[in-house]
Amino acid sequence: MSKLFFVTDIHGSNVCYRKFLNALPIYGADNAVLLGDLTGKVLVPLVEKGNDSWECTLMGQHRDVTTKDELVDIKKIIENAGYYWVHQTREEFEDVRGDPAKIDALFKQLVFARVQEWLDLADERLEGKPFQMYMCPGNDDWFVIDDMIDNAKLVHPCDKRVVQIDNHEMVTSSASNPTPWDTPREMNEADLETHLRGLVGQIKNQETAIYNFHVPPYGYSLDLCPKLDENLTMAAEEKIHAGSIGAKKVIEEFQPLLGLFGHIHESRGAQKAGRTLLINPGSEYSEGILKGVIIILDKKKVKDYVFTSG
Amino acid sequence: MAEELAFARKASGLVRGLSMWDAFAVGFMNQGLTPSIWVVVSLGVGTFLGANLIVATIISVIFAGIGFPLVWGILGGSMPRSGGEYIYNSRILHPIVGIAQSFGDAVIWLMWIYVLAPLAVDPGLTMTFQFVGWSGAADWLINNTWAAFLVATILNIVGFMFVVFGIKIFAKVQKVIMVFGIGGCAVIGVVLTVTSRASFMAKWDVWVTANGSADLVYKNFSSVVAKAADVPFIPTTWNWADTLGVMVAMSWLFAYAYSISFIAGEVKRPDKTIIMSNLFAILVPAAFMLWMGAAMYHSIGFQFLSASGYADNNGIDAIAKLPWSTHFVGLAAVMAGGSAFGKVVSAIMGLSYVAFTLWWIALSYLAFPRILFAWGMDRMGPKWFTDINPRFASPVKNHILCFVLGEALLALYFFKLNSTMQNITVTGMQITSVFAVTALAAVLFPYMKRSKGVWDSSPYKTWKFLGLPVVVWGGAINLIYLAILLYEFIFKKAAGAFTGGSTILFVLVWVLGVIWYFFWKQRSKKVGVDVSMTYGELPPE
Repeated sequence: MSKLFFVTDIHGSNVCYRKFLNALPIYGADNAVLLGDLTGKVLVPLVEKGNDSWECTLMGQHRDVTTKDELVDIKKIIENAGYYWVHQTREEFEDVRGDPAKIDALFKQLVFARVQEWLDLADERLEGKPFQMYMCPGNDDWFVIDDMIDNAKLVHPCDKRVVQIDNHEMVTSSASNPTPWDTPREMNEADLETHLRGLVGQIKNQETAIYNFHVPPYGYSLDLCPKLDENLTMAAEEKIHAGSIGAKKVIEEFQPLLGLFGHIHESRGAQKAGRTLLINPGSEYSEGILKGVIIILDKKKVKDYVFTSG
Repeated sequence: MAEELAFARKASGLVRGLSMWDAFAVGFMNQGLTPSIWVVVSLGVGTFLGANLIVATIISVIFAGIGFPLVWGILGGSMPRSGGEYIYNSRILHPIVGIAQSFGDAVIWLMWIYVLAPLAVDPGLTMTFQFVGWSGAADWLINNTWAAFLVATILNIVGFMFVVFGIKIFAKVQKVIMVFGIGGCAVIGVVLTVTSRASFMAKWDVWVTANGSADLVYKNFSSVVAKAADVPFIPTTWNWADTLGVMVAMSWLFAYAYSISFIAGEVKRPDKTIIMSNLFAILVPAAFMLWMGAAMYHSIGFQFLSASGYADNNGIDAIAKLPWSTHFVGLAAVMAGGSAFGKVVSAIMGLSYVAFTLWWIALSYLAFPRILFAWGMDRMGPKWFTDINPRFASPVKNHILCFVLGEALLALYFFKLNSTMQNITVTGMQITSVFAVTALAAVLFPYMKRSKGVWDSSPYKTWKFLGLPVVVWGGAINLIYLAILLYEFIFKKAAGAFTGGSTILFVLVWVLGVIWYFFWKQRSKKVGVDVSMTYGELPPE
């Protein structure tokens, strides 16, 4: 029997990542999987105003920072929410603001720095510890991040390959079906199905296998999210299924032991698809809450599971 | 508009979609405007005859308007999840306290079904039928227990249907019910405002005389009621004791916006939305109550209003011949008159009562299944508590359980209990089991080791007043308000409905909650899961 701790979609949140690392000994996990999305979506320039004061927009609100203590606090808030900060003069800000390529470059610089910082921290914390940690990007994450994980010392990469988790083969995919945001790892449904079939085809024993797909299967309770209008504004009153039809077909056909998913933050839950237990632990990274699930794995079955929120 | 000093990139996974308006609507609708004012006048003023509605409203709003938004807003904004106060109390106080009080809250939401569905039938539907002249239909419901049970069951099914098919239908229907309900209540206010005292006296005298009760003319009414009440006279002016007492009934208008906590995990900007929607869900009913109170004193008069409340609450023989009772909607219907237009106006007023009461039932179907869902997520119940129906995006099994239990309690009410005073019992349970425990959690929030991580990352950590965290002030003010209400429950005139059996029931529910906690903790331990992991906060460093 072993304990698997699964977390997904922390989107750059420093506090969630640190909680994740600390959770492994606290929860007594044997193995831990951190699935993407790993990277954040918002960059907050701290624009210098002179006389040790700065201004920024944080969560839709204009903020004036007038002391160095406040500056330390606001940087922490920004990082914990999964955002990135950068010091800029007004001229630097104006220069970047009008140039999408420069914004993109700045994002990449900060995103990659944080991922590297995380991997270094994991190396420091995992040294000599009995548990194994697996990490994989999600559809929002640039491909460079795969190389960074591949080069990590103690964090095991798992995307697009089969890894052995005790008695179970785990296959992982960071890809997703198309989203309204046109993110780096999207595939159309046909390609995604082909991609997933190729991956699960490497599994020797489907009966005990774990499918670790970023995108949940279509039509279950784990892929319900608010419908978006043409302006990508949410119509919270109406929920739609946003999962992958390809993933659904593959799971329903091969019937693995366990399916672990993310992508849809608001659909935390568990559901059966035939003999397969499907779980999406959800995400509330922006509130600094680490959502996860601990799964008690027996040789041929999932003995139990419990959702965590810390 | 301030300059945007931030960059965002295209990325998936946005969360939280409910707006301030949505949150306000859920909170406001649980305050139940028209039926709550009915409770204030009939059960409140009818018991506390010297109550001053204006003064009581102002005191209630000061206490409730500061205490509830600060307690529920700050706790909800710090732990923005949709499980109600169970989340806060289990994380701040102790999981056992959380589950025990949450067990109490789950029972309370069920009990509201058996209190409110009957109220929607009588006086809700019965008064509406009486206003339009369908006295046969009204008598059928009043005199036939099975008929009332059947109609209450239909209302229970309707409430169930509003919620079980998902939040889209719920939100749409809520808007319609809210607009109609507020509109109907505003009609009552307009009728009470535009009618002069002289006009009401004349209409009242004609009405009672035409219905064979000439002895109840305006100038005699209060003395007839005083005789029935076995008191020397009905007060002609207010006193502090009764004014504080009526605040118990008034809590129906101001204490129930906490239903917002059941959607806290779905609102945008929870740090602001929850606290502000709580505040507005108190201020709007307060504005209506002040309007209604002033209008009733203007058109009906202080002594007559107290007497009519007593008569309605106690059903004295002297008013038995009248076509409808002397509650505040009934008095407004007398003012509206018996013309076709007057009947339409009166029907709208009566249906406003039904609309709010019906929506209360629906809100039980919003809250109870979500409480169970939160337990299930923490492994404090069977796994099927967390099942979400993929078609309707709602916990259908929990809804069905809620319906079955609600029906059983409805049968218990109609065939065994049959007393509107049951609502006082439920209110008392709610004050102690839900509001007081949560207010205590708010007071202790900044100081508990258990919840240190949550407090440290709370957006309200820096909110201070006179050196103390604002949440402590909110909790303390809330506790003072609740202490006033409890004092009235335990030692004053409202005590009759909150002793003996209801106290035993209350204790029993808590004990069952504790047993429930240990049962599930033990069961999970057997399969290797330590449920305490779900309650602990993880150190971020």
